[in-house]
Amino acid sequence: MSKMIEKKKIKGLLKEAVKQWHTYVPQKHIGGDVLIAPLPEEAKELEAALDNISLADDDLVISPKDIFFPQLETMFKFKKGEIAETVESSPKLLFGIKSCDLKGILFADEFFKRDFEDAYYLSRANERLIVVIGCINPPRPGACFCTSAKTGPFAEKGFDLQLVDNGESYFVETGSEKGEEFVAKYSGFFQDESGDAEKAVNSIKAKAEKAVELKIEFQKALDLMANDDFIPEEKYKRIGERCVYCGACVYTCPTCTCFNVFDNAKGDEGTRVRIWDACIFEGYTREASGHNPRNQKWLMACRRYEHKLKYDKAKTNMSGCVGCGRCLASCPVDIGMSKFVQEITEDKKIM
Amino acid sequence: MCTCNKKNEYIPYPAKIESVKKESFDTKTFRVRFTDKNLAESFQYKQGQFMEVSILGVGEAPISITSSPSRKGFLEFNIRATGKVTDAIHALKKGDALYLRGPYGNSFPLEELKGKNLYFIAGGIGLAPLRSLINMVMDNRDDFKHVKILYGAKTPADMCFADELEVWKKIPDTEVWLTVDKPCDAWGCSIGVVTELWKETDVHPENAVAIVCGPAIMIKFVTLALKKSGFAGKDIIMTLERYMKCGIGKCGHCNIAGKFVCTDGPVFSYEQVKAFPEKEHVI
Ligand SMILES: Cc1cc2nc3c(=O)[nH]c(=O)nc-3n(C[C@H](O)[C@H](O)[C@H](O)COP(=O)(O)OP(=O)(O)OC[C@H]3O[C@@H](n4cnc5c(N)ncnc54)[C@H](O)[C@@H]3O)c2cc1C
Ligand code: SF4
Ligand code: SF4
Ligand code: FES
Repeated sequence: MSKMIEKKKIKGLLKEAVKQWHTYVPQKHIGGDVLIAPLPEEAKELEAALDNISLADDDLVISPKDIFFPQLETMFKFKKGEIAETVESSPKLLFGIKSCDLKGILFADEFFKRDFEDAYYLSRANERLIVVIGCINPPRPGACFCTSAKTGPFAEKGFDLQLVDNGESYFVETGSEKGEEFVAKYSGFFQDESGDAEKAVNSIKAKAEKAVELKIEFQKALDLMANDDFIPEEKYKRIGERCVYCGACVYTCPTCTCFNVFDNAKGDEGTRVRIWDACIFEGYTREASGHNPRNQKWLMACRRYEHKLKYDKAKTNMSGCVGCGRCLASCPVDIGMSKFVQEITEDKKIM
Repeated sequence: MCTCNKKNEYIPYPAKIESVKKESFDTKTFRVRFTDKNLAESFQYKQGQFMEVSILGVGEAPISITSSPSRKGFLEFNIRATGKVTDAIHALKKGDALYLRGPYGNSFPLEELKGKNLYFIAGGIGLAPLRSLINMVMDNRDDFKHVKILYGAKTPADMCFADELEVWKKIPDTEVWLTVDKPCDAWGCSIGVVTELWKETDVHPENAVAIVCGPAIMIKFVTLALKKSGFAGKDIIMTLERYMKCGIGKCGHCNIAGKFVCTDGPVFSYEQVKAFPEKEHVI
């Protein structure tokens, strides 16, 4: 490690980057939520947007998955029987995402590449640069459990650059050649660091780890779930009875990738689109005949936990949950992955 | 445009309906051919696979290929009108366009069936996916031993492929047994659910494989009957149905246990199904 960047130079860097990349940065929106959104290119709008960027440890309510897997996406257009593919592909800079969300993206990458390739996702994600800013304080205090899921608060690999907050400046860690090239290209914004950076970085990271208060027995939960005979039906039922099936946990989750497909048409012209779907919805498995193999609330509720903790792990050796805590933070009735883990590891009871 | 030059699996290819045949009161068989001549000729599939069939502007539905890979150039789909897409397909005529992508899913294990006695047990429209395999067997008849087709439907009017049932009957070493839940006057065959046929003909596990397709409840009772007759789990083969949207392991809808019915299935042995650590209604 050899570089750092002063915080006051970030805006200038982003202004330059916008010329080459679609640049996604966390921005404060009306109402106060911080969402990751592209910076506009037009000078005046860009200035205004840069005034609203927020690189502190804000809660990005929606995970950045929608950059590569938008909530609603056109798959193709058609007119008089002719099909025109609508695949998006542009260079994207993700500046300031969190380490758990990086894991989420890496997980989704693997999923969309596996077996049949998903042209839409892969095309959107094809050319990208990811700059992680590690969390000094958990953005969702009491819900984040990255240290238990081993996904944060700082990333170990998979990023192009990682910034380590050191007050007035960031230490810059390079994780790939692309990251190195980026620093070289915009070298005017970066400077060599002085002093014992490694020690400083380690101490910042150690402190950040301590700041994540929620600790759960995540590995124990994965081990339990790996056992086919382990079916915590009573616990699923209790969750199923409380869940109001709003879908918030699924929509905000960085690794939930299910979608539905439908056509929009006027006359012989229209589009085929896909839209996020949620396995906890009753209609998710209801067939045309009315037959629904997952016809009870608890069966709908347990799907999500099994998919992430059991089946994803079995298939990829990666847990499908990255510990971001959004499901708990967004749930109106206070259910979430961490609560489920606490339940099955008999750490705490949900009710 | 996509920088990866790989094929986009979600884009369907146009095909033309060559003929429409009414099979039962709510099902029709559509014979289609890809508009692209090269594609029509080079297209390959296996018995038991399905395709995503669509009308642009209405939507897509997964439908088994009912024609046999041994009969080339065209594809056949036997479709029951039961909802948005399938109703709209039923309104189509000869010369109209359908859009197809696939083939998807695994297939019936043809090689493993060679040299075996085969029991095809179908309920209602469940004969459609089996027909692909049945005709494959009929076109390579010497590779297989005795064949029995046990077919049940609600009423005689619900029976599909009536002409073909007659054809199969006449093929040596091939038996066709029919039953209906509710007969009408002219009905000359058995009455009752398909397992009633056990009373009329031997269902024997020796050197035999049973291939089952139909509604979940029918599969369940047939499986029970087969087990009672002595069939091992691996010798009972079935196709499962699940709500599907993508057909390629991405949309998530069809998952059972850690499997996707669209890519790991739809053909499973009872042995596999039994091992699903599932609480939901599998069959
Ligand atoms: C592997 C497989 C093979 C099939 N083969 C045949 C066949 O050969 N002939 C036939 O008539 N039917 C077959 N089906 C069932 C057929 O797919 C459904 O009847 C059809 O999707 C209903 O669509 P719809 O739009 O008319 O009904 P709607 O109720 O309007 O359904 C809307 C959408 O939901 C999904 N959907 C609803 N029901 C089902 C279902 N049972 N299975 C899968 N997706 C569903 C589809 O994407 C459908 O377009 C098969 C299903 C599967 C999974
Ligand atoms: S399951 Fe919950 S904690 Fe895990 S990745 Fe999804 S939203 Fe985050
Ligand atoms: S956020 Fe809570 S209430 Fe909403 S669907 Fe998820 S578990 Fe159910
Ligand atoms: S149909 Fe989409 S995953 Fe199987």
